[in-house]
Amino acid sequence: MRNEKELLQLINAHFNPEAMEIQREQNLSVKLKKEELIQALSFLKSHSYRHLSTISCVDWLEEEEFELVYHLFSYDDLVNISLKTRIAREPGVFQTAKEIWPVAEFYERDIHEFFGVEFKGNDNLEEMILENWQHLPPMRKDFDTREFVNDQYEWRDYNGQKHTD
Amino acid sequence: MNNNFVKGSWQEILDWAQNKSINMLHYCTGCGAIELPPTMTSRYDMSRFGIGPAATPRQADLLLVTGYLSTKTLRRLIYTYEQMQAPKFVVGFGSCTINGGMYWDSYNTIKQLDKYLPVEMYIAGCMPRPEAILDGLLKLKKMINNGEADGYKRYQDNLEFYHQNQEAVLGEVQRTQ
Repeated sequence: MRNEKELLQLINAHFNPEAMEIQREQNLSVKLKKEELIQALSFLKSHSYRHLSTISCVDWLEEEEFELVYHLFSYDDLVNISLKTRIAREPGVFQTAKEIWPVAEFYERDIHEFFGVEFKGNDNLEEMILENWQHLPPMRKDFDTREFVNDQYEWRDYNGQKHTD
Repeated sequence: MNNNFVKGSWQEILDWAQNKSINMLHYCTGCGAIELPPTMTSRYDMSRFGIGPAATPRQADLLLVTGYLSTKTLRRLIYTYEQMQAPKFVVGFGSCTINGGMYWDSYNTIKQLDKYLPVEMYIAGCMPRPEAILDGLLKLKKMINNGEADGYKRYQDNLEFYHQNQEAVLGEVQRTQ
C-alpha cells in the first residue's frame, strides 16, 4: 500500500507532470502533457489503478482548450488519481483509452456527444443520450442555451401576457 | 323513441361507469412519481375512489405525466399514448408540465405538455402532495362524469396540430395510428 507522497514520487520518476498536488487525503491531481497521458493510464493500471471511474471534460473557452480528466481508483492504495490533460479546442481530437479499459468507449461516446471531442480509435461515437441532435454539442460553453430554448420552444402566456426574458 | 335521446343517455351511462373505474398507467417520467406510492397505498389509498394502477398502456385509461419531460421521454410518451385505447385521459402533474418548471431554460425538456398531447387538467405544485393528487383526480372523475374529459376526441380532431408540434421538437415520429 502506497501513500500519496510515494505515489507522486512514482509518477514523477516515470513522467514529466506539469503540476501535481495532493488535493486532500486519498485524492491526487496530476496534470500531464497529452502525449504522455495514454502511456500514464496503462502505467497506472499496471500499478493497481485498475478502476476507471469516469472521464470528464471541461470546456475552457477563453483558453481555447478542452480539459480531459481521467478518474482512476486503486483498491490496494485506496487513492483516487485525477489525471488531467489539455487538448486544443479546435479540432478537439484525442486518443481513445478503450484498449486499456473497454468501458472508456462509453465515456468517450458521452464526451463526444456533449462536447464534440473526437477520440481516434473509437469507432462507436454515435448518439447515446440525445436524439436527432442537429446543433452544437450542448455542453460546450459557446452553445447558447437560452437562445436555443427561445427558438425551439414556446413560452406559456399568462392572461394574454407574453413571456419576456 | 328519439334516437338522439337514446344516444345521449347511453353516453351518460358510459361516462358514469367510466368515472367509477379508472386505471392509471404506471409510467413515470420525472421525479413526481415518488408521490404516487403513498397515493396508491394505504396512507392515502386512491383505490377507495376507484382508481388503480395498470401495467400496460393497452389496459390503462389514465396517463399521469409525472414531472419534467425530456424530448427523449416525450417520444416514448407519445408512443405510449397512441397505444392506449379510447377513452383515455392525460393529466399533467407538477409545474414542469405546465411551463417547464425549474427546467424552464433547459435545452432538452419541453415547456408546455398541452402542445404535444391533449391534457385534461394540470395538478400544480413542485411536487403536488398526495392530497393535491387525489383532489385533482376527483375533479377528473367529475369531468368524466359530465362528459367534459374529451381529450382523445380533441387529439383526433386536431391531429395535424399535435403531430406538427411533436415533429418540431422530435424530428421524425413513428406513427401507430
